[in-house]
Amino acid sequence: MKIELEGLTKRIPGTGEFISINSLKCNNCDRCLFVCVMNLWRKKEGKIYLAEDYQSKCLECAACFQVCDAGAIMFKYPAGGTGIVIEKG
Amino acid sequence: MNTYDLIIVGAGPGGSVAAKIAAEKGLKTVFFERGRKPGEKNSSGCGLGPRMFRDFPEMMKKLTPEKCHSMRAGVAARNYFVNKDDIVAGYIMARPTESVSYEPAKSWITMNVYRSEFDPWIAEFATDAGAELKTSTLIIDLLKENGKVSGVIDDKGEKYKAPIVIGADGAVSTVAQKSGLRSKWSQNQVTLTLQYDFQAPSEKIDDIMGDETLAVWWGSNFPASYQVFFNDGFHQGLGNWMTWWDKTPLFYLNRVVNLKYYQRLLKILDAKPRELQAHLLPWLDYPYNTYTDGIILIGDAGGFPCPLEAEGIYPAMVTGKIAAEVAAEAVSSGDFSKESLKKFDEGWKKTSIGEEFEAGAELWNIWKALPFSPKETMSWFVPMIMEILGGIFDWSQPHGKRVRQIISHVKSYMPKATPFIMKNVFPLVAKIFEDDLDKIMDPKKIMKVLPKLLDMLPQKKKRRGSQEK
Repeated sequence: MKIELEGLTKRIPGTGEFISINSLKCNNCDRCLFVCVMNLWRKKEGKIYLAEDYQSKCLECAACFQVCDAGAIMFKYPAGGTGIVIEKG
Repeated sequence: MNTYDLIIVGAGPGGSVAAKIAAEKGLKTVFFERGRKPGEKNSSGCGLGPRMFRDFPEMMKKLTPEKCHSMRAGVAARNYFVNKDDIVAGYIMARPTESVSYEPAKSWITMNVYRSEFDPWIAEFATDAGAELKTSTLIIDLLKENGKVSGVIDDKGEKYKAPIVIGADGAVSTVAQKSGLRSKWSQNQVTLTLQYDFQAPSEKIDDIMGDETLAVWWGSNFPASYQVFFNDGFHQGLGNWMTWWDKTPLFYLNRVVNLKYYQRLLKILDAKPRELQAHLLPWLDYPYNTYTDGIILIGDAGGFPCPLEAEGIYPAMVTGKIAAEVAAEAVSSGDFSKESLKKFDEGWKKTSIGEEFEAGAELWNIWKALPFSPKETMSWFVPMIMEILGGIFDWSQPHGKRVRQIISHVKSYMPKATPFIMKNVFPLVAKIFEDDLDKIMDPKKIMKVLPKLLDMLPQKKKRRGSQEK
């Protein structure tokens, strides 16, 4: 059984930017690639980048921020009252 | 400028209990929630422990299905053992046992509720007591005056003043970061946990599960996965420490969901996936850096989830209560220094939470080494346990012969099991009974005796009823 992730998370738009990466600090450990449940971190030509549509896919767990020992990933929560809505948590 | 005696960042159960108690003590209190209502950003932590009902009886006796539609008492719990071929090799089901000493712990193991219902319910105690709740408000920084904490600022630039701030803002605590108490956790102090919520008709759950409403799936191919039933649905989730993951967490969770046994369960329960949630869950052997000048951290923000099974709400409520009491004392004395707030640490260490952490390192170790090490440990643990449980009830040979076969086979696991027991089980036993390890059991002696003992067991016994005279 393949579970379709589309539609499993409700969101309120207007989050603003809340995740970013400083490529100068990134040490290419690739851990962010593994921990992201939604697979929002990608690697292209040796450079890690964040999916452009992350605001509409991110589960706001902050695992990428936590796992980044290089301190390259910045995370703050979406603006108050926006982002994911967990109804059955 | 909005001026208060106490600011609490976070309106989960910890923040709400702190706000309630502070308001009752006459403190002008505000607490903040970044969602549109409390609980909107929270997942998991959904099993309420019986100690909450023992220690917060006035509040908890008011929790009813009318207030909290999702409530389901987790009476019986099942442990499934899944082998390396992804087959459910067996299970153990258990209810509260005869030695459990108080109600409601005698009646159920956990009370399961969705946080979207529970958190607003518990926040109402605080607002009823006079605390002010500000929702849709993300606190982004602390305010400081002359190097001292003087309040907080939200993402719209609004400032709120108070001489003391309680950080009840979860695993990725802004208060912890901005106060310098912690920039982030070490990778082995926090787990990444994700879960599906499945919807299922109440009647189906009643008919099929009965009062069995909690399960742990101990796997050889995935970290232990928990299943928690609510009134009209259930969670299936798993987690592990940050650097464990060699594939995405979803790969492992889907491995559970795709077990043949699990698929059958989904089918008969008429279950459909409803939500996907992920969060960080602090899982420490001992909390540290929980307070400084003008700051106290409680609940997940302070690293208080239980070191064994990571129960979070009860520790958040206990630490919230103590933080509010310490804050009230600080307000009346006017002393918000680190020296004054150390009463917070002294306070929680005297509680049930403090006692839990007395064996924190040992509990943490065994959990990390067992259910969270599927390939290293569960791959031999599951067949070993099942050899014992399943092997006995087998009529392929005379039963005496079967027992000898089983013991002989269990012996083959000893090279793996013995170091595990020495490293993880003995220290825990020694810690729990507050005795030196050597006094209870000398590992060298046991190593010597155990193989000999096992050697003796499979020897064939002389036959009874033989005609020898």
